[in-house]
Amino acid sequence: MSKEVRIRYAHYLTIVLELAISAVTGFMAGAIILWSLGYNPWYIYGIMISMGISNPDYLLSKATPLLLTGLAFSVPMLAGVFNIGGEGQLYIGAITSLVIAYYTGNAVLALLGGFLAGAALGGAIGALKAFRDVNEVVSAIMLNWILYFSILYLIVDKLYNPLMPQQSVPVPPSAQIGIIPFPGGGIHGIFFIAVVAALVTHYLIYYTDLGYVLRVSGLSPKSASYAGFNPKKSIVYSMIIGGGLAGLGGALLIQGYVHSIDTTMSTLYGLGFLGIGVGLLGWNNPLGIILSSVFFAMLIIGGEMVELTAGAPPELADTIIGIIVIALALPYAYKILINYVRRWRERI
Amino acid sequence: MNVKKAISTGAAITITIVIILAVAAGAWWWYTMSTPSQPKPAATTTSSSTTTTSVTTATSSSTTTSTTTQTATTTSPAKKKVRVAVLFDVGGRGDLSFNDMAYLGAERAQKELGVEVNFLTPKSLNDMVPLLEQLASSNKYDLLVLIGFLWTGPLNKTADKFPNQKFALIDSTTGVVRPNEMDLLFREQESSALIGILAAAMAYQLGGNTVGAVAGMDIPPLWKFHIGYLFGVKYFEMKTGKKVNFLWQYTGTFGDPQVGYTTAMQMLQQGAKVLYGLAGLTHIGMFNAVIDWNNEGKGKAFAIGEDASQEWYAPQYIPLSGAKRVDVAVYTAIKDVVDNQWKGGIVTLGLKEGGVGIWDLDGVKTFAELAYQTHQLKNMTPDEVVQIVKNLREKYIPQSAWQLVNELKQKIESGEITFKTPTTHDEYTHIIQELMKGNLNAALAKGSIS
Repeated sequence: MSKEVRIRYAHYLTIVLELAISAVTGFMAGAIILWSLGYNPWYIYGIMISMGISNPDYLLSKATPLLLTGLAFSVPMLAGVFNIGGEGQLYIGAITSLVIAYYTGNAVLALLGGFLAGAALGGAIGALKAFRDVNEVVSAIMLNWILYFSILYLIVDKLYNPLMPQQSVPVPPSAQIGIIPFPGGGIHGIFFIAVVAALVTHYLIYYTDLGYVLRVSGLSPKSASYAGFNPKKSIVYSMIIGGGLAGLGGALLIQGYVHSIDTTMSTLYGLGFLGIGVGLLGWNNPLGIILSSVFFAMLIIGGEMVELTAGAPPELADTIIGIIVIALALPYAYKILINYVRRWRERI
Repeated sequence: MNVKKAISTGAAITITIVIILAVAAGAWWWYTMSTPSQPKPAATTTSSSTTTTSVTTATSSSTTTSTTTQTATTTSPAKKKVRVAVLFDVGGRGDLSFNDMAYLGAERAQKELGVEVNFLTPKSLNDMVPLLEQLASSNKYDLLVLIGFLWTGPLNKTADKFPNQKFALIDSTTGVVRPNEMDLLFREQESSALIGILAAAMAYQLGGNTVGAVAGMDIPPLWKFHIGYLFGVKYFEMKTGKKVNFLWQYTGTFGDPQVGYTTAMQMLQQGAKVLYGLAGLTHIGMFNAVIDWNNEGKGKAFAIGEDASQEWYAPQYIPLSGAKRVDVAVYTAIKDVVDNQWKGGIVTLGLKEGGVGIWDLDGVKTFAELAYQTHQLKNMTPDEVVQIVKNLREKYIPQSAWQLVNELKQKIESGEITFKTPTTHDEYTHIIQELMKGNLNAALAKGSIS
């Protein structure tokens, strides 16, 4: 066994150990809380997992927007930008695709519109950061709310469905993304589009020049400049890719699953923020994010069922999910934080 | 991170998650193997005796109506227990309104009818269709009760796929009549007409002659409130000969207290003495405007709540709340299943059925206690709230107004008059125009007022 291979296996083993230890810690910490509140932890975990995966279509459809907002967080993170605006980028993608779908009835055009709208918004945040030194977290959070209320205005005032005033107009059938038939029930096609997007992103990040530039500027902007790369450009590019992916997530959700936005915004709200957890849980690796989004979706769906079967308040399931996710993401989040601080110092 | 490392990271994550899943699945399997020894929740065993009695009475009263359920009950009378799942609106319990009332209704059914009730809170609209499919295809529940309008679309998509699953939709309708779907709606015109009389009377007691309402969106349920409230005001005008100015404003939202505040302030500046809140969260802003108006010494004005009893929010300034008894609707739906009285279609609940009305002091107390438990009611106890509201009602609502209310209530409950429910916007505006002219009969589908 050559030295290089041995190092690789050591790396491999460290990751497995790290994840296994944090998983055990998370589940145990959750178990202690459940047990102290008088619930049987194994019963609750059993429900969360068995009910979470009992309906594969629900599971994968629920995972789709999370997968894309996870990528929307991770791609900029690799380039050293903290994109908390996946929420707003998802909103703008969703509303753009809804409007285009409603007026043209063309699925491809609507998907493309959603992607471009998200990319434009992400690019704008990135440009503000790169050329005007506006903190991306501040501008992204402010834009999230501007978009939230703009969309609310649009669906309540302009795009409401006269037959069901609590929902926006639906996506016409011609622009909907269909269901792929499988034995034992069909699965919505959107998950597979999202997986393709993740694979393309993976290729882009690890097999192209652009990806290399992004990663180098993420690790050290100084070295990037020294090597002749422009770290400002990579900030903008990473935000364009990330924003576009979040926008695509919104478009897929609307065109392929719910077909309309409701006036309480429950359709869209929170998916971008969950994406941060998904991205960290997937170690900012597009392949890891595919898995972590499904894992996350399983916990959320299972968590809903905990109230039904065990009579526990819904907040309890959310707490347990939070604990598990934090425990799993903590080792990696710690590394990222260290890197972020180091990079920030380097700039000054 | 190089390419190989990136790939191996992905693979490592895969393996780990698979391991976690395997461990958890093992735990689940271990648990299911050991379930028989697991003690059942206490509630099941205690209420089983009441079930037996209710089932036997049902058997004796309806002798040979449906054969299938009969055989089921006779073979195992103790085990046949109606199971119900109540599916809340997004957000779930703790709203001190719709969802909490639904819970109260289900609790009552659990106690009085001996049914078993489970609850579920969906995360978003996206989850509603798969949850309905999952619950309906599990065949575990005799009835699924859906709370709130957000379920309308998802139910419309799923109801036809599960003809053997009964659904009850509260306060909304899919517009389609199905044998397995019961839509429970409220005749809000009836309660808001009574509120209109009292509001007008209170406005005169406060030294003014203007009443107003802060409404949500221009949608059919709100049309019914508009018609009823205006009818009540005009009824007061006709019976007492006193002129009343009527203000009505749609804010376009159920979720923005700020808009409710500014709208209410404008109405108060126009001289409104009593404001009726018909906009969910938006009219919390209206309450705040009324509180500020009084506290800043600009004059005395009152607010009226709706749906749940909201007097506890500011008992000095909120003497009344219109009742929309979601709890009664939930209970009615469950009772129909228990009594084998189930029929698909639209069921409306009005004053006669106790589905709408004005909250009495017991109701005020119930909600004050709920608010107290969740720490939303501060600085006073529920009993103090009841006392303040009682004094307020005695001081500002004259006996003559209660007489008018009782007179109208009697006419509605006896079925002497019934209100129209407009189906189009034109019909609604026409009714409002006629009412504004003083033509009360334009709002009535049956009977007349003279």
